[in-house]
Amino acid sequence: MQIEQLFGRQILSEQLSVASSWQSQLIRRPAMMVTDQWVICQRCGQRTVKQTVRLPQGDYYCPHCFQLGRVTASQWLWSLPEPNQFAVRTDSPLDWTGELTAAQKACSRQIDEVFTAGKTHLLWAVTGAGKTEMLFYGIEQALKKGLRIGIASPRIDVCLELAPRFQAAFTSIPQVVLYGEMKRPYHYCQLTICTTHQLLRFYHAFDILVVDEVDAFPFAADPGLNYAAEQAKKEAGALLYLTATPSKALLRQEKQKQLTVSYLPARYHGYPLPEIKLKLTSRWRQSLAKQRLPSVVKATLKKMVTQKRRFLLFVPRVSDLTRLQAIIQLQFSALKTATVHAGDVNRHEKVQQMRDGVLDCLITTTILERGVTFADIDVIVLGADDAVFSTAALVQIAGRAGRKAEFPEGLVAFFAEGQTRAIKEARRQIKFVNRKARQTGLLRGDTHD
Amino acid sequence: MTECLLCHRPLLPQLTLWQVLNFQPVEDELLCQTCVGQLEPIPVDQACTGCGRLCAKKYCSDCLRWQTPPNFKNRALFRYNDILKQYISQYKFYGDYRLKNVFQTQIKREVERFDADLVIPIPVNPATLQQRGFNQVAGLLEKVETTDGLATRELVKRQPQSEKNRQQRLQTEQPFVINLASEKFNKKRVLIVDDIYTTGRTIRHAATLLQNAGASEVMGLTLAHG
Ligand SMILES: [Zn+2]
Ligand SMILES: [Zn+2]
Ligand SMILES: [Zn+2]
Repeated sequence: MQIEQLFGRQILSEQLSVASSWQSQLIRRPAMMVTDQWVICQRCGQRTVKQTVRLPQGDYYCPHCFQLGRVTASQWLWSLPEPNQFAVRTDSPLDWTGELTAAQKACSRQIDEVFTAGKTHLLWAVTGAGKTEMLFYGIEQALKKGLRIGIASPRIDVCLELAPRFQAAFTSIPQVVLYGEMKRPYHYCQLTICTTHQLLRFYHAFDILVVDEVDAFPFAADPGLNYAAEQAKKEAGALLYLTATPSKALLRQEKQKQLTVSYLPARYHGYPLPEIKLKLTSRWRQSLAKQRLPSVVKATLKKMVTQKRRFLLFVPRVSDLTRLQAIIQLQFSALKTATVHAGDVNRHEKVQQMRDGVLDCLITTTILERGVTFADIDVIVLGADDAVFSTAALVQIAGRAGRKAEFPEGLVAFFAEGQTRAIKEARRQIKFVNRKARQTGLLRGDTHD
Repeated sequence: MTECLLCHRPLLPQLTLWQVLNFQPVEDELLCQTCVGQLEPIPVDQACTGCGRLCAKKYCSDCLRWQTPPNFKNRALFRYNDILKQYISQYKFYGDYRLKNVFQTQIKREVERFDADLVIPIPVNPATLQQRGFNQVAGLLEKVETTDGLATRELVKRQPQSEKNRQQRLQTEQPFVINLASEKFNKKRVLIVDDIYTTGRTIRHAATLLQNAGASEVMGLTLAHG
């Protein structure tokens, strides 16, 4: 094994040998702690009732992280301390030449301070605030010092969207992108972009670790995320969480003084977030079964089609997709539509077709709730009262509209049988941030003067 | 709160009418209704008598061709579809041993229908056993009394096929050896159990061996066909 493969990584094995010059630095930790009742995995931090995961020969395994190769109690986690074998430089590695707004600049400076001080911090910024660009200054400074940087997100789509943006912003810095289905092998780089799941392969590697869209499924309620992030960064390293919809658990950490929070309630273009229009409709699935659209839905679609608006149409379940598509095709035959869901192998192509304007309408599950940006679209949710749509999901979905400065407006319409707590809370949050942005003078003056 | 072992959706305990009517003990559910709903059981009366695949005729076209041993019959419980592939991958290749429990009751019930004298799981080779930590077939059969009648055979060093005569070739292909004195099999009805029936080669090699050892009848049961 090449020695760099071990820098800041944790490799699972019974035995491992390295060149003798490195032998003394090798760190070996038991892969699991075994107590009377529990086994606690040292890679993912999850504990399990011992008896439920006992193997016939008396060994134990971790049922939480086996996708990365099964951890058993008889194995060890091996690593070498991160040596930061990167050049210290005086010239700037930042090739991005865009401008930040005053509010973004303030956040950007704060981020740099968090990075320098090695703090844990949450940046709560609305959808479309321009979070990525706000990171550039702090990362530029860190790269110059030869620090190792990790950018992680629970969603592969978010990672795949971030990677080219970082590559374009820092063209001279090699980066590695890590996620479950990737083909290319791991290699040692100053900049790592990966899923939060892949963080479990790191041990005290990053001087700076950024976790983007920290509230996204499947890690939204996962207590393991904190553990993964804490393990992957160096003990004195900085940890920055980014989100538009922080969970209660994350905000609780502020009260417990485990992290600090800063807040950016306005989009970079200075226009308010489009607010949610709720329209009640009953038994929409029965209508679909009869090859019909509920009349309110039909009226809304008709209006959008006449005005040549392009739109995203969210539904609760994969099984709703094709049925709805068939009916829409029947009613609006000129409309070019496609459906996407998590298991769709052509997902990325369809998203690109929507971006390119080849498609007029993308019918989707919550998979497109975040991480994707389309210019000038409307957003519709059918069955917004379904339990799959959490408050965070609804705020993110609404946040797909009006993201570009040239087209800051867009319709956001939710169809539901009734107003759920999640819908109510999502509408409240959006109104709240708009009010807050207006109060702090972050919005453009009223346009009708 | 417990969750489905395959898709991790939360599990809501449900008492089915079927359980009530049959006075069935309520077992802890391990898979959610969505995952269970994706299973495709193969009814006995719609299966090929030879290999157990879903088939309208008595024998499928594969089984109509010459098969060894000729009188071997296999029963398969499910089609090897996406959900079963996911199950097998997580159980066998990722080594999630908890999954052994999912089909144990069904397999026990099925084994009892054969009324065999001996139930023999297909063994896994020692290197795999060491690495995986368990034999996946033995795991499925935990609720059944079994006999370790077979062992894997050290494979003969590779030799070009052309240099071997037919006898040698058959011997090299045979992956198993008898693990007990052959009197134990004499005039016995034997049921061999495996996880998947694909080409049938594995289970049929085992069947040939047991027939040669004197078993009066050798039958097969697999979790899946495909
Ligand atoms: Zn684990
Ligand atoms: Zn399930
Ligand atoms: Zn057949």
